[in-house]
Amino acid sequence: MDWQAFALTLRLAATTTVILLAVAVPLAGWLVLSRSRWRGVVEAVAALPLVLPPTVLGFFLLVLLGPRTLVGRGIAAILGHPLAFSFSGLVVGSVIYSLPFAVQPLVAGFTSVETAYVDAARLLGASSMRVLVSLLVPLARRSLLVAAVLSFLHTVGEFGVVLMLGGDIPGATRTLSIVLYNQVENFDYVAAAQTSAVLFALSVLALTLVYASWRPRGGRRA
Amino acid sequence: MVYSLNDPARSSSVTRLRAPWRKLVLIIGLAGVGVASSAQTPLHVAAAADLEPVLPPILEQFEKATGIHAEATFQASAALATQIQNGAPFDVFLSADLGYPKRLIDAGLADAASSADSTSPIVYARGTLVLWARKDSPLSAPSLELLRSPELKRLAIANPDRAPYGRAAVAALTSLKIYDSLKARLVTAENIAQTAQFVDSGNADAGLISLTSALTPRLSATGSYFVIPRELYPAIEQGAVIVSKTSQRSAAHKLLDFLLSAPVQAQLAKSGLTPVK
Repeated sequence: MDWQAFALTLRLAATTTVILLAVAVPLAGWLVLSRSRWRGVVEAVAALPLVLPPTVLGFFLLVLLGPRTLVGRGIAAILGHPLAFSFSGLVVGSVIYSLPFAVQPLVAGFTSVETAYVDAARLLGASSMRVLVSLLVPLARRSLLVAAVLSFLHTVGEFGVVLMLGGDIPGATRTLSIVLYNQVENFDYVAAAQTSAVLFALSVLALTLVYASWRPRGGRRA
Repeated sequence: MVYSLNDPARSSSVTRLRAPWRKLVLIIGLAGVGVASSAQTPLHVAAAADLEPVLPPILEQFEKATGIHAEATFQASAALATQIQNGAPFDVFLSADLGYPKRLIDAGLADAASSADSTSPIVYARGTLVLWARKDSPLSAPSLELLRSPELKRLAIANPDRAPYGRAAVAALTSLKIYDSLKARLVTAENIAQTAQFVDSGNADAGLISLTSALTPRLSATGSYFVIPRELYPAIEQGAVIVSKTSQRSAAHKLLDFLLSAPVQAQLAKSGLTPVK
């Protein structure tokens, strides 16, 4: 069992989840509250990572973040190194890759909040920001949990983007899914089975704890 | 395969249809007969990724010469070996090394029955390792000096655990006694094509790839290469085997003979592989 890769994977998934929630909550709030005609376009673009095969997405990011584009050169100038083959590069890739998994449950959750509450808050003069923070987020807190869990798990299981963007560097970009893949490809099925078993056991345990601690009280699900 | 149009049951059901539909059914039926008569099962070839720029024209010539249609699937040799081990319906396996085909022979899943020694794969070509870099790279042109240069921040290689060219790359760096100092600057790609992508996208300064990739129009336009001296790494012998449960053994033999024929071997030489004959 490669514990270094295990720790790296958890760190990547945790970092990605925190960033994704910070991005996805305001984005989902805007998608639900806005009347802009761009709303549909933005929602479609936010769902796009679902369409592209992960390796293709990883390849695009490799090219986009590489030193041959303005974006890539700008990032390299700020960070002092190119984003590809680094932990920060994987974070960028994971945030984009898992974006729909954070946005979709949040949009669904926010939409399910009674419109009467939103209208009432608006009539009393609440700004969209206020509606989001004081009304939508507390009432749809379960969808926040779902978004966080999905983002985290999706990043743990992420493979194609890491394969294309990572370069398999121990301690920096060699995640558990890459270790597993290497073990399978090297015919080391026993080690692969052990790695998978650890991954499965921990995921089931963590998910059970999360969901069990979130029993809706009084029967109504918020 | 015969779709009998005289079959009484079938023709009566066709005549029951209204006129325009009858015509349509007839056309589809005839098309079906046409496809059925011309389509023989193709020969399925599992081919190593370094053959991707080389093999398609050879298979076309093979079809012209013999009438046998062959279709190739390109992947890393290790992945193909795993698939064949698990029953993938391939007839011929063209690996980029000898290890994977040998493994299949030992497992009783493949053989090289046409050669004198049926327990070892048939060597059909040898691979050449090159150091490749973009022409617009700020570093000096590819050479052994470039490998030693501290300016080289990222060197891309294929995964040495399973890609034959990756194994050769590590062997070459070890013979040059620079593997340990370069180790922290290596980025590992899944296969030889991805190694080239790492460099071509500008993310790695240089890469150790196959000559077959370096000679493709795309890469020869954007970069230049340096042939790594052959004495620095063990020969990359590429082996072929016939998958034992094939139903097209004679066609498979014909393909292997064709690969070893003089004109095809000459063509391999032009595409970056060293002929064995």
